[in-house]
Amino acid sequence: MGRVISLRQVGFSYDDGAWALTGLDLDVDRGELVGVLGPNGSGKSTLLKIVDGLLAPQEGVVRLNGRPVSDYSRAELAREVAMVGQESHFRFSFSALEVVLMGRFPYLGRFQFEGERDMEVARDAMEATHCLYLARRSIHELSGGEKQRVMIARALAQEPSMVLLDEPTSFLDLRFKKEVFDLIRALTHERGLGVLVATHDIDLAAAYCDRLVLLKSGRIHTTGIPEEVITASHMEAVYECTVSVDRNPKTGSPRVTLV
Amino acid sequence: MNGISIKRPLSPMRVAGICIAFLAVLLAAVVGSLLLGTAEVSPDQLWRVLFDKPGVKEAVSLIVLKIRLPRVILAGVVGFSLSLGGLVFQALLRNPLADPFILGVSSGGAFGAVIGIVLGLGFSFGIPCLAFAGALSSVYLVLVIGRRKMGMESSTILLAGVIINAFFTAIIMFFIATAVDDRLHSMLFWLYGDLSQSRFGETAIAAPIALLSFAVLYSFSRHLNLITAGEDTARQLGVDVERAKMICFLVVSVLTGLVVSFSGLIGFVGLVVPHLGRMVFGSDHRLLMPVSAMGGAIFLIVADSLARTLISPSELPVGVITAFVGAPFFIYLLKRKGSGWGGSSA
Repeated sequence: MGRVISLRQVGFSYDDGAWALTGLDLDVDRGELVGVLGPNGSGKSTLLKIVDGLLAPQEGVVRLNGRPVSDYSRAELAREVAMVGQESHFRFSFSALEVVLMGRFPYLGRFQFEGERDMEVARDAMEATHCLYLARRSIHELSGGEKQRVMIARALAQEPSMVLLDEPTSFLDLRFKKEVFDLIRALTHERGLGVLVATHDIDLAAAYCDRLVLLKSGRIHTTGIPEEVITASHMEAVYECTVSVDRNPKTGSPRVTLV
Repeated sequence: MNGISIKRPLSPMRVAGICIAFLAVLLAAVVGSLLLGTAEVSPDQLWRVLFDKPGVKEAVSLIVLKIRLPRVILAGVVGFSLSLGGLVFQALLRNPLADPFILGVSSGGAFGAVIGIVLGLGFSFGIPCLAFAGALSSVYLVLVIGRRKMGMESSTILLAGVIINAFFTAIIMFFIATAVDDRLHSMLFWLYGDLSQSRFGETAIAAPIALLSFAVLYSFSRHLNLITAGEDTARQLGVDVERAKMICFLVVSVLTGLVVSFSGLIGFVGLVVPHLGRMVFGSDHRLLMPVSAMGGAIFLIVADSLARTLISPSELPVGVITAFVGAPFFIYLLKRKGSGWGGSSA
């Protein structure tokens, strides 16, 4: 029913020959927010690119809405999967609305201009991410948090069933980190999206995600609800440093402290 | 928040309206340029000559039709092409300082032309042929050097362009240092851009190729929008980035190589005009492309009119005018904040 993406025994290696990911099984359902944790180089970004069809795994199968990703054309994929990166660099000045409308690219023909429907979708996406009031502003004038909201609006404008976020909060301060995670969780549940978010913000991921995947050297070390994954022994095994894990006194979600 | 209304940023009607306005200005520039020159031509005489009405001296008719008209049209085509090329290279390389010569078209073309001049070839055929061959071979070298296994990386290509430019410039300098008599004058005029040798034959080749190139590049205008926003983003949204880059690089290189072989090196058009376009019309290439191309045509027609008339009856290389106007303007652009490219993140 509600399965958006499923990976079975997926293995991928870059040109250097070493396996960047191997034996990977992962399912994401509609309305499910899944966090991907792991040290640098553990394969988080590679995983997202495979789900996005930008990298083709040498082993295993990736299915999107039941159909192998390798059967999709690039435009079809862009209508189903959207990606939000760490930070966006716009060399030239586009308005926030123009940036959001870029999300309509896979729906338009070569010489076609955006129409009423595209404007409706963009408007809806910007309302959902609280950035409609920024529509006319240049992307260069926006703060980091505002920019990320615009980028999430662009992802929504693709009308995807799956949204991938690659460390969306790395360059944001505490308030904007919270804002972005609030937004992601609300959108996941309200719109029934499947969402994978790769992040180094372990506490936030633990507080917001329905499920976590902990990667180590291209393999899933462990996966489950945050309480199962965020334990001192798992953290120490994967991040190779000593930590203590307790509960956030207000919310009860696991909390990691370096010791 | 529901009260906020948003307008569609760009519609076909808006593009068409602005293009018609630019066409009108372009036409005015052509007419004005035909009237200007050492020999006096009145509007009435021009009218009679252009529409083949009786009552004009043959000499006037000859000046307008055989000397000024081909030159004005070639100026327009060259300006159109250089500005279009600059715009596309700036987008592809995501570098606001790129110009159509950045991949070595200029120094390669100049190398060919200088060899042609040394060999005593003519300006109507031999020199353009060698210049065109030189331009294309330097672009080829740059792409071969700059190409990586994972496709073309902008910074490697830029670096390769700089190196090839330096190499060819060294050879050109050698020939200039050893040049004698009027060949030196020819070389310098070529290096600064010169439209005085224009004939209809060149326009007949360059104009259709310029229009065809425009059509091809315009079909990539939305792709270019996304590429300026980042190649990963573009790829994610369904752009075949490598293919788009390759086709656009080739089209622009052939086009600029061709016009350079007829006109010599005319600087700043391809740098300044696209920037002006961005400042006024924003960054969407669906509008920016026609606006820059036509703006480039207008700019070069006006600049060449000045080159012909400022020190009449003698004349200046048109590149002197474009650089003289373009350089201060460019400094102004650089100093002005938020002029269409990323401030702090650029």
